[in-house]
Amino acid sequence: MEREVMEAELVLPTHMKFKKIQMYDKYPKGQARGRHWKHLKQIIQAENYENYPPELPTYVNIETPPSMHPGKKICDITGFEAPYFDPRTKLRYANTEVFKVIRSLSNDYVQRYLALRNAAVVLK
Amino acid sequence: MPFISQIERQSDYSSFHPSRPIVIDNGASYFRLGWAGETDPRVIFRNIVQRPRHKITGETVTVVGDHNPALLKYFDCTRSGPRSAFESNVVYQFEIMEYILDFGFDRLGADQSQIDHPILITECACNPVQSRGKMAELLFESYGVPSVAFGVDAAFSYKYNQKLGICNDTGLAISSGFTTSHVIPFINGEPVYEACCRTNVGGYHVTDYLKQLISLKYPHHISKLTWEKVEELKMEHCYIAADYASEVQLFQRGDKEAEEKTRCWQLPWTPSPAEEPPSEEEIARKAAVKEKQSQRLREMAEAKRSSKINELENELKGLEFLLEELKDIEDDEIVSFLASRGYTSKREVESAFAKVSQSLRKAKGEQVPSEEKVDVSAVEKYYLIDIPDDELSAEQLKEKRRQVFLKSTTEARQRAKQKRLDEELEKEKEKKLEEQKRLENPERYLEQLRAKYKELSEKLEQRKRLKTNGNHANGNNNVSGGVGRGERLNAAQRERMRLLTTAAFDRGKGEDTFGQRDEDWQLYKLMSRDNDDDDDDKPDQDEAELAHISSRLQEIDPTFFRGSESGASASETPRFRPLTKEDFQIILGVERFRCPEVLFNPNFIGIDQSGLDEMVGVSLRRLPTWGQGLEDKMTSSILVTGGSCLYPGMAERLEAGIRMIRPCGTPIKILRATDPIMDAWRGASAYAAAIEFPQQTFSRMDYYEKGEDWLRRYKFRYTI
Repeated sequence: MEREVMEAELVLPTHMKFKKIQMYDKYPKGQARGRHWKHLKQIIQAENYENYPPELPTYVNIETPPSMHPGKKICDITGFEAPYFDPRTKLRYANTEVFKVIRSLSNDYVQRYLALRNAAVVLK
Repeated sequence: MPFISQIERQSDYSSFHPSRPIVIDNGASYFRLGWAGETDPRVIFRNIVQRPRHKITGETVTVVGDHNPALLKYFDCTRSGPRSAFESNVVYQFEIMEYILDFGFDRLGADQSQIDHPILITECACNPVQSRGKMAELLFESYGVPSVAFGVDAAFSYKYNQKLGICNDTGLAISSGFTTSHVIPFINGEPVYEACCRTNVGGYHVTDYLKQLISLKYPHHISKLTWEKVEELKMEHCYIAADYASEVQLFQRGDKEAEEKTRCWQLPWTPSPAEEPPSEEEIARKAAVKEKQSQRLREMAEAKRSSKINELENELKGLEFLLEELKDIEDDEIVSFLASRGYTSKREVESAFAKVSQSLRKAKGEQVPSEEKVDVSAVEKYYLIDIPDDELSAEQLKEKRRQVFLKSTTEARQRAKQKRLDEELEKEKEKKLEEQKRLENPERYLEQLRAKYKELSEKLEQRKRLKTNGNHANGNNNVSGGVGRGERLNAAQRERMRLLTTAAFDRGKGEDTFGQRDEDWQLYKLMSRDNDDDDDDKPDQDEAELAHISSRLQEIDPTFFRGSESGASASETPRFRPLTKEDFQIILGVERFRCPEVLFNPNFIGIDQSGLDEMVGVSLRRLPTWGQGLEDKMTSSILVTGGSCLYPGMAERLEAGIRMIRPCGTPIKILRATDPIMDAWRGASAYAAAIEFPQQTFSRMDYYEKGEDWLRRYKFRYTI
């Protein structure tokens, strides 16, 4: 290991004096057991929030509902207000110049622009 | 002091009494660790873990937090990027969390066999019990912590500012963090979680949106757009527009004001060495070389010519001598004499003589005697032509046929020549006429010529397009880049395909009448493949005309530039252009306020939830009804905290937004936290330093006795 790396103590030591169980004992090398962590979705499912009284605040029911206002439609390329919608690429656009641009975009870019607002075609 | 890591190892760990709590603000972006009662955390670093491989030894190591990027050059980071223990704002990956805690305690200077201090650690509002339990398990079992308390960062921030007298004990906290934003109401200094709300939008989304937008706009500079750099750009340039619609209109109009608001990031750029025009010496040297070469070529040609002349002269002399000799020889001996020299008759010798002398004259550059001279002898040459066939012998007949053929070809040649001459004369005349026209009214003439040129070139272009590819004419309808078979064929081929398909499938409708009319059979001619390139072979009159006009225009119009050449080359192959400073600039215009706007309009990034201003309304509606007075009390003490609240214009925008959803005359007071980033830790530190703090903790004894599930009922009191 290089001297400057050692000096900066960049690398976390494997043995920690203050720990009761060391990492290498807890997660032995090459063993996937105990390394699986539930994702947030699974955690929420396991919590069984539906069995709780509805007035009790939980991680799920404190989420904000959708907006009461109609969503602002903005041009996907420029961010201007977008009165138009291109049915072929499904992109919103502000004016003819932007339209020219979106029609010259490759499909890859169109999908990336759509992905920005979570509207891209996802194949499953 | 946002986003500056503090990772020096502390040396005074052993000087703290075991009852002194350690306070941890475990935020999704930054991890802050310090001692209760102090004003600032001791250790701050980004809450990420990297597991790169050392390039030389090949071993996988763990690197926590952000370090000097220069040091990472010894590691291969391509396999794994930075990883976080968080999903949204919930800790779920406790292996990573353990690495982070290891690093944090190590830098705090922990050197005993366990962490013998109570711990206050922050979590999100309404943290799932599973996550809280796992955190407790980790702290108790791996570190031997005596007791743990869990609190919400936004609440600590509110309490801290309440203590400083900035906000009242009843009010709202708007906290916008890295991955989520919360609005939490407070009544008498206690958070009311029943009425709080969360939108899953935060600083991460703003930075990510900005990063995506710039990399889509500048695909060439993608390598320069690292997360850290974009984060820096965001913090430096982004602001919140008072009104998005009017702000964007400013940019759409391209006003001067918009120009002033546009920021530009100049990427490192070194101008490519400009090509210097060759010096005069160089030009002279090149010209000299060229001249020398041409001189040599000329000399060679001259030598060749003179040798040829020499040769011809010799031959001529030989023939002359032969003819002289022939004069002296008797007639009956001539044949045998000539045969010995390789000739058959005297005539042949004579013709050879004439030929050689003619080519000699040609070689010497003299005028070749005109063909009329030959014509004089035409009468003798074709002496047999006028004699009727029956008067001639078989041999003579043969000769006559030859003569007839020769005569007709020479005549045809002459006729063609005459025609050429006539045409030339005609052209000359036309030219003269045109010249006259030009002289009469040069401008009008030029205009006419230009118009004609344009018309013709357009016509040709159109035809070319139709012929080569149909899809240009259809208006470029294949955005996806996929080209179907129909679009690959040219017009003629497509027509052929159409004919073939109609012929193949045109059945059933009544009687088959094909072939009753003669025209039907023309179909096969159209279908045949030879038909395809018919018009390619045809000499194109329009093209010739166009060439003529363009050459004429070039002659008389100095400004004329061949449109077809320039236009075609510009559209088809963009000419190489040296890169300029502007190509290495990243312009931030609308992006400056478009990206933070996602906090107010999460639907910009496809999240169907309300923005910060509406969240206040949602939160107030969720409050248990205690009357109008309470709501007014709340809106007159709105504290804004969290890293994503640092944008300029935040308070104004929030006030405007909240005013819209509240009844007229509502008192609204937006208060900014003293330090939106550090206040949560400071509040927690002050809280943990209080004497009553131990009553709020969950001890190791409780953990072993009551188990994780007890944590479900764990309720933290902020007013003690």
